[in-house]
Amino acid sequence: MSITAAKTWPKMTSREEFRFLADLILARSSGDETTVTLQDLHAGTTRFANNHVVQNVDVRRGTLAVTVAFGARHGTASATDFTAGSVLETLARAEQIARVTPEDPEHLAPPEPEPFAVRETARPETMAAGPSRRLEYANEAIGLCRMEHLLAAGVVTSSVSSVGVASNNGLFGYETRTDARFSITVQAGDATGWNAAAHRSIDHLKVQERTLAAIDKAKRGCEPRELPAGPYPVVLEPAAVAGLWTCLIRALDAKSYQKGVSPFSGRLGERVVDKRLTLNNSPDHTDLLGVGFTFQGLPSGPSSWIDSGLLRQLAYDRFTANVQGIKTISTLEAPILSVAGAVSGSTKDLISQTDRAILVSNLWYIRPVNLNDLTLTGMTRDGTFLIEKGEIVCAVKNFRFHDSPLRVFQEIRAATAPMEAVTAETGKMLVPAMALPRLHFSSVTRF
Amino acid sequence: MGTPSWEEFSALALVRIRAAGAEYGDIRIQHSMTEQVRGEDRRIASVRDAEDTGFGVRVLYHGAWGFAASSILSLEEVPRIADLAVEIAKGSASIATEKVRLAEEPVHCDRVVTPVRIDPRTVSLEEKTSLLLEAMEVLHGQTGIVRSAAEVWWRRDLKRFESTEGTALEFDLLAAQGAISATALSDGRFATRSFNTPHLRQGYELIEGARLPHESLRVASEAVEKAKAPAVDAGFYDLVLDPEHLSLTMHESCGHPSELDRALGYEANYAGTSFLTTDTLGTFRFGSPHVTLVADNTEPGTLASTGYDDDGVACQMWDIVRDGIFVGYCTNREVASKIGEARSRGCNRADSWGSVPIVRIANMGLQSGTATFDQLLGDVKRGIYVEGHGSYSIDQRRYNFQFGGDAFWLIENGRRTHMLRDVIYHGITPEFWNSCDGVADGTLRQRYGFITCGKGQPGQSGWMTHAASPARFRKVQVIRGERES
Repeated sequence: MSITAAKTWPKMTSREEFRFLADLILARSSGDETTVTLQDLHAGTTRFANNHVVQNVDVRRGTLAVTVAFGARHGTASATDFTAGSVLETLARAEQIARVTPEDPEHLAPPEPEPFAVRETARPETMAAGPSRRLEYANEAIGLCRMEHLLAAGVVTSSVSSVGVASNNGLFGYETRTDARFSITVQAGDATGWNAAAHRSIDHLKVQERTLAAIDKAKRGCEPRELPAGPYPVVLEPAAVAGLWTCLIRALDAKSYQKGVSPFSGRLGERVVDKRLTLNNSPDHTDLLGVGFTFQGLPSGPSSWIDSGLLRQLAYDRFTANVQGIKTISTLEAPILSVAGAVSGSTKDLISQTDRAILVSNLWYIRPVNLNDLTLTGMTRDGTFLIEKGEIVCAVKNFRFHDSPLRVFQEIRAATAPMEAVTAETGKMLVPAMALPRLHFSSVTRF
Repeated sequence: MGTPSWEEFSALALVRIRAAGAEYGDIRIQHSMTEQVRGEDRRIASVRDAEDTGFGVRVLYHGAWGFAASSILSLEEVPRIADLAVEIAKGSASIATEKVRLAEEPVHCDRVVTPVRIDPRTVSLEEKTSLLLEAMEVLHGQTGIVRSAAEVWWRRDLKRFESTEGTALEFDLLAAQGAISATALSDGRFATRSFNTPHLRQGYELIEGARLPHESLRVASEAVEKAKAPAVDAGFYDLVLDPEHLSLTMHESCGHPSELDRALGYEANYAGTSFLTTDTLGTFRFGSPHVTLVADNTEPGTLASTGYDDDGVACQMWDIVRDGIFVGYCTNREVASKIGEARSRGCNRADSWGSVPIVRIANMGLQSGTATFDQLLGDVKRGIYVEGHGSYSIDQRRYNFQFGGDAFWLIENGRRTHMLRDVIYHGITPEFWNSCDGVADGTLRQRYGFITCGKGQPGQSGWMTHAASPARFRKVQVIRGERES
């Protein structure tokens, strides 16, 4: 492997370059309000399957978007070409839209400028990582599986992005963000084991540890028993908890709440889950993907969403917040779900305390079925086991679940401390593994 | 000296790839223009006009892939990206124990243009926003409607594909869609009903022909009726599924399992594999004899009818399921040869210049039968008629599925009666398709397109169209889409 490390040319758009581009646009704009956003991404992916590299990719994509408003009329145009001519042409397109689009009664001027928190959103080791580092990790995972005569499929990604927002009222934010991810599915015949990681630092992917965990799951998953559908006590590993909580978090939209078409309608301040559960945004946590600001130019900061089971916060758009007199719009890009009181040390401890339950490693294809009560459906995947008398006794065929997190998390039997969790369908979170009295499985599949 | 042409940029990249000793390489240069006008609750919430330009270079070196792409289309960046793609392919080759072999394909030189009657760029923004505001006004005219949405969308792709084999293709493709939806609130319960044109390769004539304000009257009325409708009683029902609903059922339970890369394990870490393993080809009874599923990437107006795929393979028509038996996969040049097929089916597609092409479901249609709609319903004592898309979920091998819908009516003694709510049906794919005992005739055939078919890592959005006439399925398990405490 003799690939040179990621080349730094052409360089990512710097703070000064973004300020120059933004100033150029803001100075030329005829709009009453103008906002410029930047996303300049350099990303690489090494994908493998059947113990071979099947994709090896390096992509550079810069996008500059301009939003112009004349009074309450507004329009947005974007382009990937950062040359002066293109940038000004993009401004002209936004102006043209804003001149003719109808007035928007919900339009608001850009947020007032305020200092954004400076966070360690970019890690130099991830910025320096290129195709060779990704290939090294892929090869390590493949090698571990080959030694066990198993098949590995997975992905290693690393990226760096320059992100900016600027408005003609003086609002200005710029941040460099890195992101590294690893996930692996190990196949042992029909059985599969899975693990995944996401972190600002590529050094924290723990490729060997996660690959060995996936190998262990795959080996244990052979010859699954078929159990009948129905309600079961469950032990959910963090990835499965994250899947359900991602759907719950998406349902916290404040506008739907105000219009009465939310599963939480009328429940702000009320208990919605077990009183030991607390959900916070913690953008300063080094294992989460917190940011300094949003593309809307809003600051990100610590906030409380569910406190001891009580719903404390909704996800506000700026208009709804304004109508409701909400001064600070809380963001939730770095969630931590924690359980008060005594916690178990690990998932293994939870299993050892369990008389009979289904151990769910991961949930897949989770979709809302009924937004009135937030009933969801989805499948267990990549490691579903029967626990009896404190031990995993066998693998079981995958179930489809049909239940609402608002019921499932009403009572927690036991839980660990929050652990890192990320799946193909969720963002990065810190959530505990949990033992719960009931999850309704509505059907069984063939494997 | 003016800006180099796309032909010149292509030549520059291909010269570098050939000089590096790669056995194959191609370049895709693409400029995409997207306009999205989105209305919400009687207002125009956003108008977005996006231009996306860039190029991607794919290289096969000693049987291993490398791909690099950039949004900087310049004389400096094109050779840098071509060299980087070669360098990455060499890295892949350094750990490869199996070499990629591409199935043969004739050299093509062609230009493909979507026939358009009304170019959406020539339709003023005022006309588009007025249409959406009028539609939402009609929706809110119905008592009980608390939320509404309306949208007009179109995208034009200008693309050049050129390979070291000599294939050179130019594309000027357009697709459009319009949609409305209304949410009704009744006694603390809410329900949404929607209507959309299919995504098709047509111009603004698609939107004009949809008469969105006219449809709004029906949509609003049915949203209220749906919110007030009784919940379904769980049990076994005969189902009559409309073409839009079937498009999703076919897509998830037939389309994805027929992707050969899935069957071979390429997607094991994300989208999943397939119960249609290669040993089932030609023998597996997928459905009843009423079920024939034809892949057709040549049908005009459909999303995957682009003339050629991103391997430079000409679009084709073939059977996926014939008289109930699984007989064909969707393939690309890489995987076709792995099952001994001499030629790719032409299903390799990337969602932009910055993405690697991967196997995608073809346009796929359920072959029409001979029944009238009344005949399908007439033979049902207790059943449910389902329209549109709702909740959907399926396991990673595509066996166990669960589908909702946008609207449901109880069928009693051959007649459609009142609406139901919270209808969910689930089953095992081959068992479900084997329960099909009737497909309506071709006069009722309709097409629906998908532009958000998720697959790949990083995720890509696939585009394809599925067509069907209404079809009937016997004794399908239905459950209520809410959990009783």
